[in-house]
Amino acid sequence: MTNLFLGNLKYWLYGLTLLGGAGVAEWRGYSFTSINEHQVAPKSVRDNPGAYRSHYSTYTRYSGGK
Amino acid sequence: MNPLAGSDRFRGNCPNCGAPIQFTFLQAVQTVCKFCQSVLVRQGVDLQLVGKVADPLIDASPIQLGTEGQYGGQAFQVVGRIVYEYLGGRWNEWYLAFSNGTFGWLSDAQLEYAISFLVKSTAPAQATRGVQVALGKELFTVTTFTRARYIGVEGDMPFTTWDKTESNFLDLRSANQRFATVDYSEQPPLVFTGNLVDYDDLKLRNVKQFEGWQ
Amino acid sequence: MKVRAIDCPNCGGSVELRGYSHSLSAVCIQCLTVIDTSHPQLTILKQFQDANRVRPLLPLGSRGRFGGKLFEIIGMQERQIMVDGTTYSWQEYLLFNPYAGFRYLSVYRGHWNFIEPAKGLPETTTRYLGKPALKYQGQTYRHFQTAEAETSFAMGEFPWKLEVGQKVTVKDYIAPPKLLSEEITPDEVTYSVGTYQTGEEIAKAFALTTPLSLASGVFANQPAPAANLGSTWSTFVLLLVGLFVLSIFLKVISRNEVVFDQRLHYSSADKESAKVTDIFELKGRTSNVEIESETDLLNDWMYLDMSLINTETGQAWDFGREVSYYSGTDSDGRWTEGNPKVSVNIPSVPSGKYYLRIDPDMSDDAGLHSASYTIKVTRDVPKFWLLWLAIPLLMLPALWRTIKRGTFETQRWAESDYATSSSSSDDDDD
Repeated sequence: MTNLFLGNLKYWLYGLTLLGGAGVAEWRGYSFTSINEHQVAPKSVRDNPGAYRSHYSTYTRYSGGK
Repeated sequence: MNPLAGSDRFRGNCPNCGAPIQFTFLQAVQTVCKFCQSVLVRQGVDLQLVGKVADPLIDASPIQLGTEGQYGGQAFQVVGRIVYEYLGGRWNEWYLAFSNGTFGWLSDAQLEYAISFLVKSTAPAQATRGVQVALGKELFTVTTFTRARYIGVEGDMPFTTWDKTESNFLDLRSANQRFATVDYSEQPPLVFTGNLVDYDDLKLRNVKQFEGWQ
Repeated sequence: MKVRAIDCPNCGGSVELRGYSHSLSAVCIQCLTVIDTSHPQLTILKQFQDANRVRPLLPLGSRGRFGGKLFEIIGMQERQIMVDGTTYSWQEYLLFNPYAGFRYLSVYRGHWNFIEPAKGLPETTTRYLGKPALKYQGQTYRHFQTAEAETSFAMGEFPWKLEVGQKVTVKDYIAPPKLLSEEITPDEVTYSVGTYQTGEEIAKAFALTTPLSLASGVFANQPAPAANLGSTWSTFVLLLVGLFVLSIFLKVISRNEVVFDQRLHYSSADKESAKVTDIFELKGRTSNVEIESETDLLNDWMYLDMSLINTETGQAWDFGREVSYYSGTDSDGRWTEGNPKVSVNIPSVPSGKYYLRIDPDMSDDAGLHSASYTIKVTRDVPKFWLLWLAIPLLMLPALWRTIKRGTFETQRWAESDYATSSSSSDDDDD
């Protein structure tokens, strides 16, 4: 039984590190896709939502369709 | 009952050179005079000269007459020896007297050792290599067929070998290191069963010394 | 007992018999004559050509310890077999101890084997993984090779009459690191067991000053280098179980809390489309936020430009998604395209008070476009995709080891009677 752990020591270290990393990432809610994050003045946006320039203001319009 | 104790063992004098002879065990029938190498057979209270051992019989087996050892929890002493010769060389059969009154054989062929004991089993009239043979309740397979000559004797024997010249022998083995041998020099053939052993297993003492070896 | 020497009947040179009376033949080192030493009248059996003289890797007369016992090399043979027209030769050293008896050391391309006579017979003949096999002392030995071996050169002494050119049929069976050899002649069958040794172990046993040549290729009973595959895959399974436990834990601790859920409307007639939602609170540790929208679009599209804004810190996350849904019928029946629902996941959002700014947009052609859509914000949704990714990553070392073992075993069996068949990555040392 101990051979299972000792004989595969590197595997265990690798696997537990991987699980640890995945666990921490899940815990913190990480993701590969990042949503553009920046600072704004919230009061100004609530007063005038239309004036807000989001990072998505340049988007490609859907031009397809059946 | 130690077969080597007691003063009731046969005593006499060598008819050839007059040297004193004492058999090492009660049931001994044949002996070899250490001084003149005469082969003597007991006839009643007399010793009869039947022949002479010509071959010096000195070989490199570490075992010799008087060697002591242990097997199966019993101590033994080497009291006799038969030397055989076949196509592939020679081997020894050492006669052992055990401290519990039984006797056995230690076969020593190219330093591969086996201990065996005479059993009342029926052997097939003949068999060749690979044939399975049941001896008693055990199943063996014939591993070797040998045709051998009696080259010489030493020490005491429970039977006479002097009238034996050549005979067939079978070596048999089994999966659990059991060993058997069939000696066709008599009718019915003699069957021996036992075990293969390592030198260390026998805890031998009073063995031959070799220069340069511990 | 002392070692004695005889005079070579051919050249008169002195020949020592270090095996005492056991030696039935001896090779004169000077003239390479094979002498029959079984009787005092020495006769000549054969003579080797000096051109074929082979230099032994281990000098005759050297002593080495095996299993605690000291053995002396008293003879060396070069033996060979012919397989598919190619000759393979190897050396066999005769080891001698006057009490323990004879053993052998064989060497082939740097692979060594310590060989001793087997005391018992194999228990059964069977088949294992497609090959004939013998069961000996509880282990299964698979058939590796059957070949006729002959002695091409010899030096030193032997406890048998060395007949050069005599062929013996040998069958080898393997259970790495062990090798079971069966030699059959009309009157006799003998079994011997070999245990694999590395060149380093042999050099150490004989206290050699110069190292022996490195092993090349894979030998019949050479043990595979990695840990046994069974335990490797068991490790994977255990790690997988750990992954499963971790997932359960993360699922249990996730809040999965809906903090905002509202139906909104858009019309292209609206002057100002951008709007802000009421403030909602995102509680708990820094985690993700999922924003889902379900629209009533039919044969139209909408673009949702959104921002999640923290009222206290001013941090904003901008994102946008297209939603479109079309359906109709044609010759094949009903068809649909697109999805009226959309979902976005924002990672690592700290807790606090937030609101959404939403700016929907639809086609700016002449027609009136409108849609109603729901916005649902859920805090701390268990996503698990990282853990899904961990599964193949966890499997990689075990897969790698299995592949490596496969190539090792292919190399092993390439030298056997079964070389033409494709290999299988079966375990040989479990």
